Amino acid sequence: MTTQALLQVLASGLLMGLIYALIAVGLSLIFGLMDVVNFAHGEFLMLAMYATFGLVLATTLDPILLMPLVVAVMFAVGVSAYAGVVRYAMRATTNQGMVQIFATFGLAILIQGLAQYFFTPDFKSIQHSWLGGRTLDVGGVFLPWPQIYGGLISLATFGGLFLLITRTDFGKALEATREDQGAVALVGIDRNRVFALGWGLGAALVGLAGAVLAVFYYIHPNVGSTFGLIAYVTVALGGFGSIFGALVAGVVVGLVEALTTVILPPALKSVGIYTLYLGVLFIRPSGLFGRL
Amino acid sequence: MNRRQLLMSGASILSFAAAASLTGPAIAQSGQEVVIGVLFPMSGANAQVGVDARHAVETAADIINNAHDLDLPMAKNAGLAGLGNAKIKLVFADHQSDPQKGRAEAERLITQEKVCALYGCYMSSVSATVSAVAERYSLPFLCCDSSSPSLARRGLKYFFRPAAQDEMFSAAMFDFLDAQKKAGKKVETVGIFFEDTIFGTDSANIQRKLATDRGYKIVADIKYKSNSPSLTAEVQQLKSANPDVLLPSSYTTDAILLMKTMDELGYKPKNIVAQASGFSDKAFFDALGDKAVGVISRASFSLDMAQKRPSILKVNAMYKARSNRDLNDSTSRELMGLLVLADAIDRAKSTDGEKMREALAATDIPGERTIMPWKKVGFGADGQNVDADPVLIQYIGGTFVTIFPSAVAVAEPLWPMNA
Repeated sequence: MTTQALLQVLASGLLMGLIYALIAVGLSLIFGLMDVVNFAHGEFLMLAMYATFGLVLATTLDPILLMPLVVAVMFAVGVSAYAGVVRYAMRATTNQGMVQIFATFGLAILIQGLAQYFFTPDFKSIQHSWLGGRTLDVGGVFLPWPQIYGGLISLATFGGLFLLITRTDFGKALEATREDQGAVALVGIDRNRVFALGWGLGAALVGLAGAVLAVFYYIHPNVGSTFGLIAYVTVALGGFGSIFGALVAGVVVGLVEALTTVILPPALKSVGIYTLYLGVLFIRPSGLFGRL
Repeated sequence: MNRRQLLMSGASILSFAAAASLTGPAIAQSGQEVVIGVLFPMSGANAQVGVDARHAVETAADIINNAHDLDLPMAKNAGLAGLGNAKIKLVFADHQSDPQKGRAEAERLITQEKVCALYGCYMSSVSATVSAVAERYSLPFLCCDSSSPSLARRGLKYFFRPAAQDEMFSAAMFDFLDAQKKAGKKVETVGIFFEDTIFGTDSANIQRKLATDRGYKIVADIKYKSNSPSLTAEVQQLKSANPDVLLPSSYTTDAILLMKTMDELGYKPKNIVAQASGFSDKAFFDALGDKAVGVISRASFSLDMAQKRPSILKVNAMYKARSNRDLNDSTSRELMGLLVLADAIDRAKSTDGEKMREALAATDIPGERTIMPWKKVGFGADGQNVDADPVLIQYIGGTFVTIFPSAVAVAEPLWPMNA
């Protein structure tokens, strides 16, 4: 393989990795906040992609302009999922962990079924966008604009998230709630409200990822499962609850996946990620930056 | 309970039993329904294939169950004349593209739904497990649209496939390459790119052998993981190899992703000759638009053959009324296969597994009485129809046109595709 080809693979892996990180961070945030693994995370991604597609059809605006709207829609979806399902699952007195798993897993199946019913299982694709189909040629290394844009959005989002958590009252309330759910109630923080907003934020983040993906990826009721598994691995690798961990792990997963394809037969491309994942869990069960 | 109550309850039980025993044979004797179990992927990544397939087999059931002015098997009469005009009843099951779910559903269809034959299953990997279940219960499995050659090589007695398998398809693809070479076009190297289940691996094995036998140099031979989030590194390898002809075998998700990634990485393949499947799916063209122009695929079917097979347009109109799309490579086989199965059950005059098997083995339908380019429908000892001639079609001007073999071609191939 030539240097140029290797650079191409690394660059593509890096860009995809940043998008993986953006997909994963909402999952990590929700887990860090309330110890709940959202098994419907991939389906949230899929809903965001359909929301983008639907809004493009309805408004004929460019998908990039519609991103804030998609994020807002997904925020509402996240809050509703908490208020409608997760809140009740958390009230279970026995086997609460299992109840939460089944609740979010059930939600995933429901969303997938509804998507297939309402949107049909046909593949959708956004044909026209300012960025769609454009590629930047850097000395023979091709970087598609939608992915560059996605990578930049991802980095900006991580920066914004860092500021949100360290500099705002809401961020402090989030941190305080994850530190000690009981104690925050004593200082007048409504735990339920923080959880609801946490779910809203988590869904909004994956919503942003969906809006980015929709520009260059096909849209299908099943697309969430393609990315969902990678999101879980990313979060586990980076450490549940660690936002910085999600960023690093996303990039690592993207790069390892791309490099595995070069070193091993492409059919074994997932082997690299899962070997790394198992290795990290073996040496450091809480993930690279986890606080478990 | 006193004696009177005992007598009354005893009488009611007896009368109920009598009624039950009467209704049982009554249904069986009148033979109003022949129940067939149909397995396709109705959810998951290939769900649209299942939805289209359902419309195709329901169109076929309509042709069988009602009288139609079509020169096709089972069309003229309403129902199966051999079984007192019994109607076909389809029971659908979703195998979710998973061989194990297919096996479980096949068991359920046979033991609980009491189907007399199984039908499906699109994915070769699922057809492999479902046909094994049918064999164990001694009832026919009609494999309408799976193309892996190994399916017919397991010595199964109850396996029948009216359509071509990938050896026949691949031979046609290489015949076409030979013809291009003979006409002075540059065709020296090929790139094989295939997904990692039975369909892809079997297809690649044959193509590898054919390429070697016929003197083509294989410059890329890539087995990739299906349903991957990204195919960048794989496409990079194809781009480096840059074969004269790229021979992909992929389902729809990967076919779309492959073409999009090639476009993003600035790789314009000189030619693509695909093993149908995802490349002949309507979703593929809808998702890609102009980027799909010039793609050549092997096929069992093309609408432009209507001059030779007049039924095509009428049947296509019936299918389109249900599905809002034209028949394609897969749906045509799914539709035609059920007519072949019903024809055999009609001749068997029975839903007994062995009798249906014998009737299927004795099938002899001339090609003109199908909507396919086949010479005829008849099965060898392995259950394969060797007279299911394939064609090659190319996506030009927003539709598929037949380009090979020259006897049925309606247009000259656009070669190279990016000329």
